[in-house]
Amino acid sequence: MTSASAPLVSIRSLHKSYGPHIQVLKGLDIEMKPGERVVVIGPSGGGKSTLLRVMMGLEKIDSGSITFGGKPYISSANADAKTAINTDVRRSIGMVFQHYTLFPHLSVIQNLVLAPCKVRGEKKASATQRAQALLERFGLGGKANAFPAQLSGGQKQRVAIARALMLDPKLMLFDEVTSALDPELVAEVEQVILQLAEQNLPMMIVTHDMWFAKNIASRVIFCAGGVVVEDGPPEQVLGSPREERTRDFIDRVFHIKQ
Amino acid sequence: MNYTFDFNAVSLGPLLDGLIVTLKLTVAANIIGVVLGFPLALLIMSRVSAIRMPAMLFVEFFRCTPAIVQIVWFFYCVPMLFNVFLGSTTMGILALGLNLMAFNAEAYRASIQAVPREQVDAGIALGLNPLQRVLYIVLPNALRASVPVLLTNGIVIFQQSALVAIVAVQDLMYQAKTLATETYRPIETFTIAALIYFAVSFPVTQIVGHLERRRQVMTS
Amino acid sequence: MSLDFSVLLRFQEALALGLWTTVKLTLICIVLGCSLGFLVGLSRTSPSAIVRGIASIYVEFFRGTPVLIQLFWIFFCLPLVLGVELSNLASGVIALTLYMGAITSETFRASLKSVGREQMDACIALGLPRRVQVTNVILPQAVLRAAPTLLSNCISLFKESALVSAVGMADLMFVGQNISNNTARPVEVLTIVALIYFAIAFPLTRAVTLVEGRILKKLAI
Ligand SMILES: Nc1ncnc2c1ncn2[C@@H]1O[C@H](COP(=O)(O)OP(=O)(O)O)[C@@H](O)[C@H]1O
Ligand SMILES: [Mg+2]
Repeated sequence: MTSASAPLVSIRSLHKSYGPHIQVLKGLDIEMKPGERVVVIGPSGGGKSTLLRVMMGLEKIDSGSITFGGKPYISSANADAKTAINTDVRRSIGMVFQHYTLFPHLSVIQNLVLAPCKVRGEKKASATQRAQALLERFGLGGKANAFPAQLSGGQKQRVAIARALMLDPKLMLFDEVTSALDPELVAEVEQVILQLAEQNLPMMIVTHDMWFAKNIASRVIFCAGGVVVEDGPPEQVLGSPREERTRDFIDRVFHIKQ
Repeated sequence: MNYTFDFNAVSLGPLLDGLIVTLKLTVAANIIGVVLGFPLALLIMSRVSAIRMPAMLFVEFFRCTPAIVQIVWFFYCVPMLFNVFLGSTTMGILALGLNLMAFNAEAYRASIQAVPREQVDAGIALGLNPLQRVLYIVLPNALRASVPVLLTNGIVIFQQSALVAIVAVQDLMYQAKTLATETYRPIETFTIAALIYFAVSFPVTQIVGHLERRRQVMTS
Repeated sequence: MSLDFSVLLRFQEALALGLWTTVKLTLICIVLGCSLGFLVGLSRTSPSAIVRGIASIYVEFFRGTPVLIQLFWIFFCLPLVLGVELSNLASGVIALTLYMGAITSETFRASLKSVGREQMDACIALGLPRRVQVTNVILPQAVLRAAPTLLSNCISLFKESALVSAVGMADLMFVGQNISNNTARPVEVLTIVALIYFAIAFPLTRAVTLVEGRILKKLAI
């Protein structure tokens, strides 16, 4: 069992490359406490998506290990060895992608109930009821029977978040979930994530939206070149960064934004 | 099975003579199809329905009836209706050429209409006049896109050309049929003939596959 | 010359029988050919190089040779090879099923490939078991995407089925040619035969466009 101060996620010297030449993560160490909301920022191509995909169990790793709630989750001894993934642990993590990835042939409600019914064997009626309640809460009550193609980007992304929540995840991963949206639709998705933050759902968020980062983060990690460059409370990392590279990056992003 | 193979019984000579006729039919039909398919495509895209309708009827007729029906119809009916007979190879070329023309017109039309709207918009934004937009933007885009389909259609007509054997044009298929009967060696004869057809088609389909993959990489 | 379509009235029944043979042959081969095509399409994505190799040789060979020669081979050679008599219908079914299997396998292969990698990512992120990934996510999308092309494949099969007349099977084309020879009225008879084929194939091609539009709208691909 885990006490309140024990880490929720513990990533140890994580190495990940695509093929022999593209080294993306070069020895990453991150520890995440329960209830923390970690925002990961950094230059494009720095390995943020790769980190989240590894944490979701979507990618093999070269070496390193990840534990979740004290249990071993992902590990690999070296590049040739197989990546061991504990699929039971994986089920307690949810992820939302930049490009929605809803199932286009299923209606909104069918998208939501598929996993609970098939993974946990939940009764269709009970799953449908929970799904409907979740949709109401996200302002999508009227869209249950719509198909993804009939929704706006913002609506699709809220459905994708609801779909992930149907499995009661203990950790949510958000990878640039507003990057593909028109500016006026960004707020409605961010509102939903802020709602989840109020319930202290642990999450790791990759975003380029500094306003959102400031508002949601309990901690910010600046990640570049496959390593953690700076790690601290949002006021420090975003407000007065210690590292030269962090400052450069934040200057550039803020100057464009303001 | 108690059949002993004897591939030596099959003399390649007549088959190769037949192949030459088949290739002649294919090349000539392709010239008709590639050249005349384009103006036909313009007709089926015309805004004037008196022009568009007959052109579409022509195209749909060839696309929606069996090629063998077209060829038999052509060989029996054209001489009766128009009182002409042009020699069987010429007739074969015309029948196959008209068929290919219809399929190629459809290919040209599809690729012209697939030129993205933004491309044309960009042309307007750059101040090109309508003729310039067609010449410098629409056509180069569309023609390049239609090449794989034209090649595929061309190779399909190479295979469909075997149908003229039924109306006694002495192509590869006809020679194979004759030889099979004369030598009592149908397995060897038809296998060799099939391999000859395959040896011509296969490289072309590989080239088409290569072109399509390259296009996908370029446009993605 | 003067045309007289009334000669055809005497042969209504024969033409109807021929058409029935054509339709029956087409329907049987649609069912058998699509099943074969699906299996072959799957085999071409198999991890085993031998399975992939056999499947591609089959497909490339049947797509690379005239259907007429395939038909002749099966009518005249297969009985010799197997050492058994094959009825006309059986030979026709075998030949056209093999043809249909080859063309639909390409359709299925393309549609299986079109279900993107991100859909798989979403399945894993939701913890869906492999069986559910296939039956609830990949297969339905693949079939939907394949539907218009499959329908086109069926139209092609319907047209190619006229080739069995060349080996003496009494389909619509065969009956038509017989009547045309007996009455010496090829223009009238062959035109009507062509129109019958057209009357069936043309509405189906329109249906392809309709189905395509529906699916595009639904899946927004
Ligand atoms: N599937 C892949 N195959 C090869 N290289 C990849 C793949 N995915 C990402 N990369 C490369 O890995 C690097 C990190 O990518 P990513 O994790 O997406 O960065 P970020 O999300 O920070 O922009 C980039 O250089 C990218 O090109
Ligand atoms: Mg990214």
